Amino acid sequence: MRSRVREFDSSTLNESVQNTIMRDLKAVGKKFMHVLYPRKSNTLLRDWDLWGPLILCVTLALMLQRGSVDSEKDGGPQFAEVFVIIWFGAVTITLNSKLLGGNISFFQSLCVLGYCILPLTVAMLVCRLVLLAELGPINFMVRLFVVIVMFAWSIVASTAFLADSQPPNRKALAVYPVFLFYFVISWMILTFTPQ
Amino acid sequence: MLQQDSNDDTEDVALFDAEEETTNRPKKSKIRHPVASFFHLFFRVSAIIVYLLCELFSSSFIACMVTIILLLSCDFWAVKNVTGRLMVGLRWWNHIDEDGKSHWVFESRKASSQESKTVSEAESRIFWLGLIACPVLWVVFAFSALFSFRVKWLPAVSLVAEGTVSQCWAVTAGCSLLQAVVVMGVVLQGANLYGYIRCKVGSRKNLTSMATSYLGKQFLRQIVVEIQRCRGPVFAFS
Repeated sequence: MRSRVREFDSSTLNESVQNTIMRDLKAVGKKFMHVLYPRKSNTLLRDWDLWGPLILCVTLALMLQRGSVDSEKDGGPQFAEVFVIIWFGAVTITLNSKLLGGNISFFQSLCVLGYCILPLTVAMLVCRLVLLAELGPINFMVRLFVVIVMFAWSIVASTAFLADSQPPNRKALAVYPVFLFYFVISWMILTFTPQ
Repeated sequence: MLQQDSNDDTEDVALFDAEEETTNRPKKSKIRHPVASFFHLFFRVSAIIVYLLCELFSSSFIACMVTIILLLSCDFWAVKNVTGRLMVGLRWWNHIDEDGKSHWVFESRKASSQESKTVSEAESRIFWLGLIACPVLWVVFAFSALFSFRVKWLPAVSLVAEGTVSQCWAVTAGCSLLQAVVVMGVVLQGANLYGYIRCKVGSRKNLTSMATSYLGKQFLRQIVVEIQRCRGPVFAFS
């Protein structure tokens, strides 16, 4: 889903399909850039879309597959787990921030939380590459370092966007569930071992 | 008198025709956007086919589910942004203003006399058929997935009795991915259906007011004709 700021309805009702595709792709790409270089800005909040979170969620869930993907029993659980944790976790955090009196809309919050999973997806990619080498304490230390750095990046990126929408005395209460959410995902990434 | 009546009748008929052409949109029955119509149906129907025949396509359960998820997302985007605009001239989106409040906007293309912008009847039929039939099917799948979940619990219970808890978890989590995908199908396609129905209802309010004003004018015209017919004999007598 997307939101858009528009001036005239005729200009977008009659635009070509290619324009629509390019506009949406550019918006998704811009948001990824914003997550990689977080600064306080409103663009992530004004024009929300859920394509980035969907792509990241599916990529992360696929990378967290354990063992062979041929038999039905092996692939299902981890994929469903990751999917459910990410989406239910994001919905719960959004409800929490709305109950605390934040003035951010439901889909905006889902958008920010989903896009800020990007650093952790990169961490997962790096971990999978590192796991191709032999297992050992050095391997674990490298993975731990990468995951901690990316976890901190996710937290910084999401609080840069979400903190402004909360009343000042409730900021810690709103940020704490975000911390837990990314911690659980980081834990899943760190404890992943392919069999 | 008779001539007057016939003149009135022909005048009425001419006015009737002229009015009809300007108020009603001329409907064509040829398809103006074949690619859009194809893709409107392609993503929805192929998602349903993959869901029903997942065992035949691939032995990997995950690959099927990911394919369905991708097809459902592409279908949602295509119907919301492209086919609705091109085929029936309707669009809906979410707009967030500076205060942070979100508004849902439902717009429809105004009736214009330009040839290229009118709605073709065949396309409209294809659009609404695809839009309504597929969410209904996904709701049916949701109910069947709900009931088959109970059936799948029976071997799971026996597995627990044998002590293989991990297999039990795998079976139930496999069920939950299927249900998550079905729920996603219902939500995405239901959202498009709801959005376009609201667009249509919004535009129909304009059509209703146009129709009532047109009927009002016709009614007045009939009354005037009747009064003139009644006056005719009065004049003859006087």
